Amino acid sequence: MPLIEVSNLVKVYPGGIRAVDDITFTVDQGEIFGFLGPNGAGKTTTIRILVTLLAPTSGRAIVDGIDVTVAPEEVRKRVGYAAQFIGVDDDLTARENLILQGRLHGLSKTEARRRGDDLLEILQLTEAADRRAGTFSGGMRRRLDLGQALSHDPELLFLDEPTIGLDPPTRRALWAYLRELNARGVTIFLTTQYLEEADSLAGRLAIIDEGAIAIEGTPQALKDDLGGDAITVTLAAGMDKSEVARVAELIGQYSDADAARTYDGAVRVFTRDAASRLADVVRTLDSAGIHVARLEVSEPTLDDVFLRHTGGKMRVEEVKPRSRMMSARKPR
Amino acid sequence: MIRTFRESSVLWGRLMRKMVRVKLLLFFALFQPLLFLLLFSQVFNRLDQLPGFAYDSYLQFLVPSIIALTALNSAFQSGIGMVTDIEDGLLDKFLIAPIRRSSILLGKVMADATRMALQALIIVGVSLIMGARFETGVLGVLMMIVLAACFGIAWAGLSNVIALRTGNGELTMMIGILITFPVLFLSTSFMPSALLPSWLDVVATFNPITYIVEAVRALVNTGWDWNAIGKAFAVTAGLAVVTFTAATAAFRKVIS
Repeated sequence: MPLIEVSNLVKVYPGGIRAVDDITFTVDQGEIFGFLGPNGAGKTTTIRILVTLLAPTSGRAIVDGIDVTVAPEEVRKRVGYAAQFIGVDDDLTARENLILQGRLHGLSKTEARRRGDDLLEILQLTEAADRRAGTFSGGMRRRLDLGQALSHDPELLFLDEPTIGLDPPTRRALWAYLRELNARGVTIFLTTQYLEEADSLAGRLAIIDEGAIAIEGTPQALKDDLGGDAITVTLAAGMDKSEVARVAELIGQYSDADAARTYDGAVRVFTRDAASRLADVVRTLDSAGIHVARLEVSEPTLDDVFLRHTGGKMRVEEVKPRSRMMSARKPR
Repeated sequence: MIRTFRESSVLWGRLMRKMVRVKLLLFFALFQPLLFLLLFSQVFNRLDQLPGFAYDSYLQFLVPSIIALTALNSAFQSGIGMVTDIEDGLLDKFLIAPIRRSSILLGKVMADATRMALQALIIVGVSLIMGARFETGVLGVLMMIVLAACFGIAWAGLSNVIALRTGNGELTMMIGILITFPVLFLSTSFMPSALLPSWLDVVATFNPITYIVEAVRALVNTGWDWNAIGKAFAVTAGLAVVTFTAATAAFRKVIS
């Protein structure tokens, strides 16, 4: 039986914004399931419904066999949740924050203390255990926040953009830790706007855009779906839009999937037999007298998948903490 | 019942720990009342010579008003704390825990009450040093502190309504200052009823602060006036029903 079952879920905010528009998906026990999408796609809204912080407008969300709207408290006992915005008390030490969460999840004083010690060890915060959280770096705060979500040893972990604002080494370290958790049997549902993160962590992922799931599958299957390898033609600098469009039309005939895509100054097609098609591309461009700066054959990336299914709206924006109250409540 | 108590005690513990660690949380609401106590007791020192002023000194008259002012200030601190907890993502952390929503509010009320009681005690201590005498002794002081904390809690309901509706700590503080002064001056806090202009005397009878100040004033100066104490508790209870109904509604709106 799937651990998470979402069917025809809809969330309409007061004012008529359809943040989540009829989504259906399941997550199995032991998976790392990624929810990939741009800002405002409905990721946070979905996760907040699943962790019982937000009531759906219609549809059903079942977590571990429990309907989130029927017995929210039972769901809360079973899941850990680390929100996009870190929730630690800056005036308390790391240890005190962890103990507080443990106590709120029903652990006794001694249990909470022991669990806190374990988590400090696991998250490599032991040395900073008795320092106020307000003195922590971004990475340490993120780890502490994750520790809070794990304070009651949940079997299912919800992470909303867990690595936003972290530097690359810290991000990688967190990924390693999430994989380790998963290996120990914790099912992880995570949202991200980083393609690299989804590719590296998620066994299966869904791309969500404008409240709807555009496509779902393993990262590999989604890439295979593009129709082979990518041939990318980068044009010489100074080409205007109409020339780029002409090139796209010229080499579009070699595509085995969609029409050629244009990026700034570059055109890309997907083809099953890239090596031999490359010669055709060169000949065609040469006879048309087009000056090419760079020609490249590569395996498709999630970037390509994403662009194909969302119309190229992916962009990373750091959200300012100042606006956190509003954005946490009413995602656009 | 036991469960609610356990949950709210844990949350109370967090706020107490913060207060012990960040001393400003305890003293912030005290600065202005202490300043008023020192200045007003000097500036209006000679008021006791006015006909119709029935108290031994202006200080004796003023101490209850300062206790009430402290409760008003401390109440607005409660709302600001609520906004901070929301902004810091801590409210979400409490909402995601398998605890009752009511425990979150009760833990906060308990912490507010503890802080208000300590602050009232500090005012009493400073007043004693300044030469004030408390007619009803230790038990009377205890009653004053209970009254101040209860009234402060009722008023904190109002500050939380403003805080939850605006979602802005600075704005809550400004509105708090804006409300506190008229409310304080349109009562018998700084002038006895007999010496107020008649229109103001009428306004003062509709002002809840008047009843708290009068009850405490009796405890400080004349003795156990159960009629005044009863009225003070009744007014506080009525106020609390109104502010807490509104605060609970505002809280529900924010968390849904």
